[in-house]
Amino acid sequence: MEFAIDGITQGLVLALLGLGITIVFGLGGVLNLSIGVFSAIAVVIAIELLGITSSLPLSIVLAVVAVTGLGLVVDKSLLSFVYRSEGEERVLLGIFVTLGLATLLDGLLVIARPSSYSLSVGVPSTTVFGAQIRGSSIAIIVISLALFAGLYYFFRRTYLGRATRTVLQDETGAVLCGISPRKMRTLVFVLSASIAAVAGILYSFTQQVGAAEGFELTILALIVSIVGGVTSIVGAVAAGLVLGLIATFTSAYVGAYVAEIALFAAAIVALLLQPEQVA
Amino acid sequence: MIHALLTRVGGTDWETIRLPLVLGLLALVPPVVFREGATYVSRLIILAAIFATLAMALNIVFGHTDQLFLFVGALTGIGAYTTALSAEAFGVSPWATLLVGAVLTGVIGALVCYVAARLQFTVILIAILTLALQFAVIEFFVGARDITGGSTGLIFSGLGFESLQEGFGIHEHVILYYLVLALLGATFAFYEWLRNSTYGLAFDAIRQDEVAAESIGVDVVRYKVLAGFTSAFIIGLVGPLYAQLEGFVIPGLFEFQVIDVLVLIILIVGGMRTLLGPLVGAGLVIWIDEGLASTGEWRTVIFGALLIVLFLYFRQGVVPFADRILNDRFRTRERIATWRES
Repeated sequence: MEFAIDGITQGLVLALLGLGITIVFGLGGVLNLSIGVFSAIAVVIAIELLGITSSLPLSIVLAVVAVTGLGLVVDKSLLSFVYRSEGEERVLLGIFVTLGLATLLDGLLVIARPSSYSLSVGVPSTTVFGAQIRGSSIAIIVISLALFAGLYYFFRRTYLGRATRTVLQDETGAVLCGISPRKMRTLVFVLSASIAAVAGILYSFTQQVGAAEGFELTILALIVSIVGGVTSIVGAVAAGLVLGLIATFTSAYVGAYVAEIALFAAAIVALLLQPEQVA
Repeated sequence: MIHALLTRVGGTDWETIRLPLVLGLLALVPPVVFREGATYVSRLIILAAIFATLAMALNIVFGHTDQLFLFVGALTGIGAYTTALSAEAFGVSPWATLLVGAVLTGVIGALVCYVAARLQFTVILIAILTLALQFAVIEFFVGARDITGGSTGLIFSGLGFESLQEGFGIHEHVILYYLVLALLGATFAFYEWLRNSTYGLAFDAIRQDEVAAESIGVDVVRYKVLAGFTSAFIIGLVGPLYAQLEGFVIPGLFEFQVIDVLVLIILIVGGMRTLLGPLVGAGLVIWIDEGLASTGEWRTVIFGALLIVLFLYFRQGVVPFADRILNDRFRTRERIATWRES
């Protein structure tokens, strides 16, 4: 039972990470390899702000806002160049440019704050149906579920969200309806940056996050996104949960390194089983 | 300019003499540059040669058949670990097991390409697949402590010529340099041959239009698998030499950020689908990387920024860029003249 809850907790964070990759790739064809660094930056900023404001919720909100701003800057500058090319070349250019960006941001982060941090939530543990649930788990579950609900509402109910999904399904059709794909891409990239920021902060509730973990988080996000079918939002969430459970149970019963390999194996199997979905 | 000059003076074709010329010049490096006690410089030069060979391997599989291998680091590691571990297990010198590592690596490359070609993976899918493999393999190197020695790894120094070293007082770096250079030379010569062979023609056809190539009887799967095997085989040979240079085999040597990122930059900067691109790129990138060492902690930041700029503006590579400039500036008139004559 405890393992199941741990698995779900980890899965929700993984789902958020994967979602950050999925929406950007689905909408713009850019595989954002710098997403994990965004998460790491959010954690470091939150820790810094915590020292100034001494209010955890406020620091977290401000950190997310800061990283969202960073996302906007990146979209307006670097990604504008990437979107100029088309098709497969854009995909490759996207990989290379975001890889360069990841290296750059990673370097900056190492200079600013070389160590890794974890945030403590301050929510007390509780016992539900005889199972001990950690405070951090409760916080992660509540926050990520709220975020998923918000995202669901956004993509299903609001005009902007529907417009984004239109671009995802049929770009020409979207243009004919008067929707600018470029604007939607900016919106989605900024959204993915803030999702990555939240994911990073939630991740730091249970693990250490810092410059060293940035790329690791990117790879985790990538795996979740692949297993979920890369362009499917629901798929990413489901994949996150499944992988979280797999990772927690293998880690508990077999060993930590086998759990990591199991994650990659899941990604490879997913790729081999459903290539047309990913492409 | 050199191009035009050589054609005029020697009367021979630059295309045919450039590789022997470049390799000849590279063979002169140890007596001229290597100094006793200055192993820092010689290590860097060997490293550049190693990365040039890796970039050439990637050039064959990625540049010519559009199969983006993002697990060059893992393949290098598999080559090194297999050679080192099988030598230990059989109680023989790594020289005897060098091919075991290379063949295993080649088979893995061929297998990945076979699966990818069968399932008609796009370049992006192969990239993701190999990236996942890269991290899984590194995870295995770190985790399977009983076999690989975990993150502390193994000591490796079997690929030297002790008798030569002691008998003639030749530094081990000199010997290693010539070993790497031999592999580099063979790889580059093979590439030159490949490009002018029917294989090269088939690769071009596949890259330009897979369906059209298939329709005129090119066995796409077979050629893609061949390219994958060849490249992985070369990478598998480089692995043990790389380990010999570092003196040990540890997972950290073969990480994505250590090998793949660098090899990709080298290939893109030097110029894909060119003979000298990987070599020029390796020299340039290793030199830049070293130059940035003086900037201390800003090194990664500047390197990242450089990466972005290079990818956005110099995607065609330095060698094609220089070639174009040289041609436009210095040979335009000449070409018009020859054209009028004919």
